Amino acid sequence: MTQPIVHAAPRAWLTGLREAIPLMSGYVPVAISFGLVATQAGFSTWEATLISTLVYAGASQFLFVSMVAAGSPLWLVVLMTLLINMRHVVYAPNLAPWLNQGRWWPWLMHGLTDQIFALAHTRLPQLPESQRLGWFAGAALLAWVSWIGGTAVGAVAGEELTRRWPLLGEVMPFALPALFLVLLAPRFTGLRWSLALGSAVIVAALLTEKGLSNAAIPLAAACGALCFYVVRFNATAGGKRDE
Amino acid sequence: MSSALWLAVLATAAGTLLMRILPLLWMRHRLERRERDDDFDAMPQWLGILGPVLIAAVLGSSLVPSPSILLYWSATACGVAITLLVWWRLRSLGWPVAAGVSAYGLVIIILGL
Repeated sequence: MTQPIVHAAPRAWLTGLREAIPLMSGYVPVAISFGLVATQAGFSTWEATLISTLVYAGASQFLFVSMVAAGSPLWLVVLMTLLINMRHVVYAPNLAPWLNQGRWWPWLMHGLTDQIFALAHTRLPQLPESQRLGWFAGAALLAWVSWIGGTAVGAVAGEELTRRWPLLGEVMPFALPALFLVLLAPRFTGLRWSLALGSAVIVAALLTEKGLSNAAIPLAAACGALCFYVVRFNATAGGKRDE
Repeated sequence: MSSALWLAVLATAAGTLLMRILPLLWMRHRLERRERDDDFDAMPQWLGILGPVLIAAVLGSSLVPSPSILLYWSATACGVAITLLVWWRLRSLGWPVAAGVSAYGLVIIILGL
């Protein structure tokens, strides 16, 4: 009699699903807010859900519905939405060294949000090549479905939910910064990286606090990268290097 | 929704998707070229630096509580401290996040009363 093969390691896509759960607790409250805002702006539940399914880019979706509601020209709405999403351009090349030539990868990039990028940038290098596609599909799918589901729930019952459980909506979004913190902490490996990453965190927080949340990420990243180069320049000029 | 609005949604969706796919195809091409030419650097240095600093920027942006008042900033500070402390002890992904969220919630409940 042959014994069934027992896999000690969990399936890759299940691991991806499990590791993306903290993202879900951050996505759902924001998606509920989007569903609520979209219906208040005159979109139907079906339309709001379809926008979340097709566009799938949080901040730009809020801008899209608010500009449409304000009566802005549609070409300007599309242009501004795409400008906000420009930051996505640098995500896939950063992951590419860990992706093979599989034909599914380009389509899976639809799920490459800020949060999935942060998670994948840390986890993909740690996984064997055979598990990366499954892991990414599991993580990205959970995030996508939670975003779509949250939008639908928000459009149907957003007002009721936020009235009944206000604390839940306030507390759960902290899962996102907590997750990013855990992803980023191991990268503080020396003075040079610490200054670059620390300055990016501080500049992004300051700009967001000042209401410039859309510009915060690209500007803060540019500032962090500049810091990285300046420290190298100074270290080289002083005859020593800190990698 | 009018057909013009539908077109705007589809244009936004297609543009966003292309911004996610095309850079991957570009980098794949560069990686293939590196296999043929050892001297060719597929990953420009600035791109390797941008990855971690983008995560840092996303962290900074998500740290700002809404509304930005002392109660939420206190909860954020406490949540950050507990998340880092648990991460330092366990070096895992899930528990530090759970502990940080719990600490954040506790501060809001205690100070908000």
